[in-house]
Amino acid sequence: MRSRVRALLVSAAAALLCLFAPAAVISAEEVTFGMLLVGPHNDHGWSQAHYEGGRYVEEKVAGSKMIYIDKVNPADRPGLTIPMVVDDLVDKGATLIIGNSDDMKDGIREAAAQHPEIKFIHISGDDVLTGKAPANLSNLMGRMEYGKMMAGFVAGLTTNSGKVAYLGPLINEETRRLAVSSYLGARHAWTQVRGKPADQFRFKVSWIGFWFNIPGVTADPTQVARNFLDTGHDVVLSGIDTTEALIVADQRRKEGADVYALPYDFIGSCNSAPEACLGVPYFNWGPDYARIVRGLANGEWKQSWTWTNPNWADINDIDHSAIGFVPGAALSEENKAHLQAFIDDLGSGKLNLFSGPLNYQDGTPYLQAGEKASDKQIWYLKQLLEGMEGASK
Amino acid sequence: MQIELQQIHKHFGKAHVLKGIDLKVDAGSIHGLVGENGAGKSTLMKILTGYLSRSGGRILLDGEEVECETPAAAAALGIGMLYQEPQDFPPLTVLDNFIVGRDTHPDNHRGRQQARLQNLADQVHFNLDGEAQLEQLTVGERQQLEFLRLLGRDARLLILDEPTTGISDRQKERLFAALHQIRDQGRTILLVSHKLEEVVALCDRVTILRHGEVSGEESAPFHIPRLLALMFDQSPATDAKPQRRAPGDALLWLRNLSASGERTGLHDCNCTIHQGEVVGLAGLSGSGQGLFLRLAAALVQPTAGEVEFHGRSLNRRDHRTMRRLGGCFLPANRLEEGLIAGFTLVDHFTLALRCSRREARAAAERAIDKFRIRGTPDSTADSLSGGNQQRLLLSLIPTGANMVLLENPTRGLDVESAGWVWRYLRKHYAGQGAIVFSSAELDEILAVADRVLVFFDGRVVRDLPMDRVDYQDVAAAMTGN
Amino acid sequence: MPNLRQHLTDTLLILAIVLAFTALLLAIVGASPIEAFGHLFKGSFGSWSKFSRVLNVWIPLTLCSLGLLYAFRSGLWNIGVEGQMVLGAIGAAGVLRWGVDSGNPLLMLTLALLAGMLLAALWALLAGWLKTRGGVHEIFAGLGLNFVSMGIILWLIFGPWKRPGIASMSGTEPFPAALWFPTLEGWRVSPFALALTVLAIIITARVLNHSRFGLNLKAVGHNPRAVSLYGLSPQFYLLIGIIISGALAGLAGGLQVSGIYHRLIPAISSGYGYLGLLVVMLANFRLLPIPFIALFFAALNVGSIQLPMMMQLDSSLSGVIQGACVLSALLVFGLRKLKRGRNP
Repeated sequence: MRSRVRALLVSAAAALLCLFAPAAVISAEEVTFGMLLVGPHNDHGWSQAHYEGGRYVEEKVAGSKMIYIDKVNPADRPGLTIPMVVDDLVDKGATLIIGNSDDMKDGIREAAAQHPEIKFIHISGDDVLTGKAPANLSNLMGRMEYGKMMAGFVAGLTTNSGKVAYLGPLINEETRRLAVSSYLGARHAWTQVRGKPADQFRFKVSWIGFWFNIPGVTADPTQVARNFLDTGHDVVLSGIDTTEALIVADQRRKEGADVYALPYDFIGSCNSAPEACLGVPYFNWGPDYARIVRGLANGEWKQSWTWTNPNWADINDIDHSAIGFVPGAALSEENKAHLQAFIDDLGSGKLNLFSGPLNYQDGTPYLQAGEKASDKQIWYLKQLLEGMEGASK
Repeated sequence: MQIELQQIHKHFGKAHVLKGIDLKVDAGSIHGLVGENGAGKSTLMKILTGYLSRSGGRILLDGEEVECETPAAAAALGIGMLYQEPQDFPPLTVLDNFIVGRDTHPDNHRGRQQARLQNLADQVHFNLDGEAQLEQLTVGERQQLEFLRLLGRDARLLILDEPTTGISDRQKERLFAALHQIRDQGRTILLVSHKLEEVVALCDRVTILRHGEVSGEESAPFHIPRLLALMFDQSPATDAKPQRRAPGDALLWLRNLSASGERTGLHDCNCTIHQGEVVGLAGLSGSGQGLFLRLAAALVQPTAGEVEFHGRSLNRRDHRTMRRLGGCFLPANRLEEGLIAGFTLVDHFTLALRCSRREARAAAERAIDKFRIRGTPDSTADSLSGGNQQRLLLSLIPTGANMVLLENPTRGLDVESAGWVWRYLRKHYAGQGAIVFSSAELDEILAVADRVLVFFDGRVVRDLPMDRVDYQDVAAAMTGN
Repeated sequence: MPNLRQHLTDTLLILAIVLAFTALLLAIVGASPIEAFGHLFKGSFGSWSKFSRVLNVWIPLTLCSLGLLYAFRSGLWNIGVEGQMVLGAIGAAGVLRWGVDSGNPLLMLTLALLAGMLLAALWALLAGWLKTRGGVHEIFAGLGLNFVSMGIILWLIFGPWKRPGIASMSGTEPFPAALWFPTLEGWRVSPFALALTVLAIIITARVLNHSRFGLNLKAVGHNPRAVSLYGLSPQFYLLIGIIISGALAGLAGGLQVSGIYHRLIPAISSGYGYLGLLVVMLANFRLLPIPFIALFFAALNVGSIQLPMMMQLDSSLSGVIQGACVLSALLVFGLRKLKRGRNP
């Protein structure tokens, strides 16, 4: 009985489908990929970087086509679930789905299980590492830790007061390791390049609660940034998707204060206030996406957990580097030279900031003297480090 | 200002409520207007203040014919009215209330208006703080403010509707003094009141209305029995009354009962109702009878004292307890309080009898037949006429009821229907229990009741078995004498 | 049946106004109305999978609307339905968290739904008490409690119930698949949840239109002063009305947790409570049209995702259409009343 009802319903649905669905003819080498963006596609931040990456693929890989849907989060689109959007993208011919937010982890995994024939990339996730991912789901992330080290390095070079602030989003492993990377870069500049004593250096982290401001839910990033500057910090590193820290620093500069900020995520972020901007570490998703789509067009797919390095020969090479850093207009020539040397040392392996001895914030050892952190030790960073102020959990 | 009304008529549909009223009030005098409820006083006042249009007749001010078709027109002519309920804005201050509505006045400067208010208040020896919040004022003080507003806008004819209701004796004295004072300044005052003692104390002349006609006009000094005789119909013959039965066991006790509400409240009421009694509550409307019935029905909680029904205290109980013990109340506002608009007869019987729809339909059909309700079981209550609504309410009284409380039960019924209603009620409920009812018509009470309670200003001033009732005495008691 | 014909003309009139208004709006922004309506339709009824998404919205929306109907019958504006849905979700999530290792998922799911209904009913009772005991108007009480419920759910997700090591807007750790509300292989909507909703519709129809309880509730809503004289307690029926309202919203919240998101997320109510208010108003507070209007609104919600994808239009168009529906319905009902008033 039940199966008959079901058969009836299915055939009715199929009839509807024939009536309304456009005849979808896809040639073998064409790849349509669907992109789920957590924020607006033009947010000058995280989501826009992905969106541009997708456009890059369309340009470089013949026959590829992107369908995107932005603001994929329950606050902006109530009632929306990831499996639901994925179904729709699959209906429209997508054979690869990219989800760009950590928040989509559960939904992507569920959708991947429902569509074994479709390939999925979850950005910033670790389902492959933990073994929870079905075979058609891969993880991808760029090693922003290097970008953050550069940002921190520049901050440490520039600060006069020796007090650097970090405007953090919510607390998780990713955001902890990015804050820690910034700290390591800044401390290196302060003690090794400028030769100043470590005890005159302060690094403060405040978390607002999410990647961008949600009035009534998160702390207001503008207020937090003002607070930093009011308490003697003169360089603010932004760890959130939007540019409040830069805007506030620019306002203070116009009032005569000698303060700076570094935004995050998107190559063009400095443009809104170049005088206050020391530089921006950014993601460049295009090359990785193009590689995956090209592979798929040739029938190649291998599940992987990928953590892509910058192209050390030229970190701002748009065709080859997953991570870049654009020095800002406010960065002095002298410090630019220091930065280049720093990048070269990182690239050559001469310098590894994740080297012991390093302690966690609560004093327990993280790395012994002479020990270098493994990828997993960095990825699953349990706390902030000793010497940083701010909540670890 | 001298005012003269000539042959004022008013029809409401078929009802002819004012039948050619002639009234002349001299400039600089206080003129009283008295009459029973429904005599036509309010209608006449509404015509004079422009809230109702007249069906015929002329209005002359200082000998000149005027139209008073809108309240604004009346106000512009210098006619102002002091209502029973203050017509003001409680969230504002005294001064705001004084200024409000004068937006077009050329001088709206607060300081000058404050001085003006103070000046007017000093003239009549009122004591009002301009910055006080109106909410904190007593009714008497709010009335004083209204009075000053009328003076402030140069009202030359002041109409006062029951001005002493709900105010203290001290405030009453002040008001009377102020009235005398402004009369001496040449203003004309028309006083509408039930309270003959006040009318006698204040007025220079009095016009008495009865059934929409002028039944008499008197000059000071007044003779109260004569005024009463002009106000009320002559005592009807009492031989039609059924033989009074000896009262049975006590059913309902009211002990030292006080409550607030209905303007006057109810104060220190003591009374016992016995099985077999038909008790009539007499009094001018709003003297506490409605509150008495609602207290007895446990719809209102007393502020002091106790109601006991069949030996059970009803304090902190609601009407459900009363109803379980055999009580039942029929309000005067049938559609507002007694019936449910939009509900059919069947719905009502389902609610009242707590039965199935089928049984309710049968009951509704029986009731339509027995009570001669013009409607079908599926008619909605609001589609019935007033009389038929009353029949429906009567038909909903549970058969076993032993305490039937009725508020103006025959209002809106013709004489024949009213007679039928009373025969029905007596036959079915007076034997097994008691009936307590209020009525706006003294005649009805005297014709139907075995016992009369007379209400005045929230107090029971007489409690008389019918064989000791004297028509003149009751009429006098109703008006505070 | 002149009544039916009148309802039909009203409905057509409302739809015509809404279509004209929306088309005008689209024309102003330079988009093709035909194309937009086509995408809305195809995006909601174009395939079985899409239609099942529509049903997934229809279930909580219908449940909330049914609940609201009980409160409306007793004369209450239960704006707090949104918060009651949140509390229902919290109750269900609480039980499921506790029962992760119980080994009896069916029992746990039943308990979860019951706990959600109970918690939401108590939350509604709070608004009812504020009304009957405290004299607080239920609209203000409801709005206030909605804010409080948002505070509670955020606190739970970012506090005691956060994922190991991480607090995230994406909610709590998902429940194991055993604790997902059961569905059939290949179904994107649970037939059991559908059946539950249809059952709720049938029971509501019986209770509201054919039971003495329903009549009493309606009497209280029509004239709370008069019902005392019939030996009914208006307070009692107000409270019962809002409790049932809350319980149904709680059921919707519980199903969102166990059947849709499989975890607690901050936006678990998805605004279905407020949308339910619109549904009930558009239905002119009658039961029969509710499932159909809810289906229409659900289709708009689901179909509207096509607009940004296919036409780069903002998907809030669906909200505009829903709002326009209610406004034009109020207009049509109002005109009808005015006309009736003139020629009685």
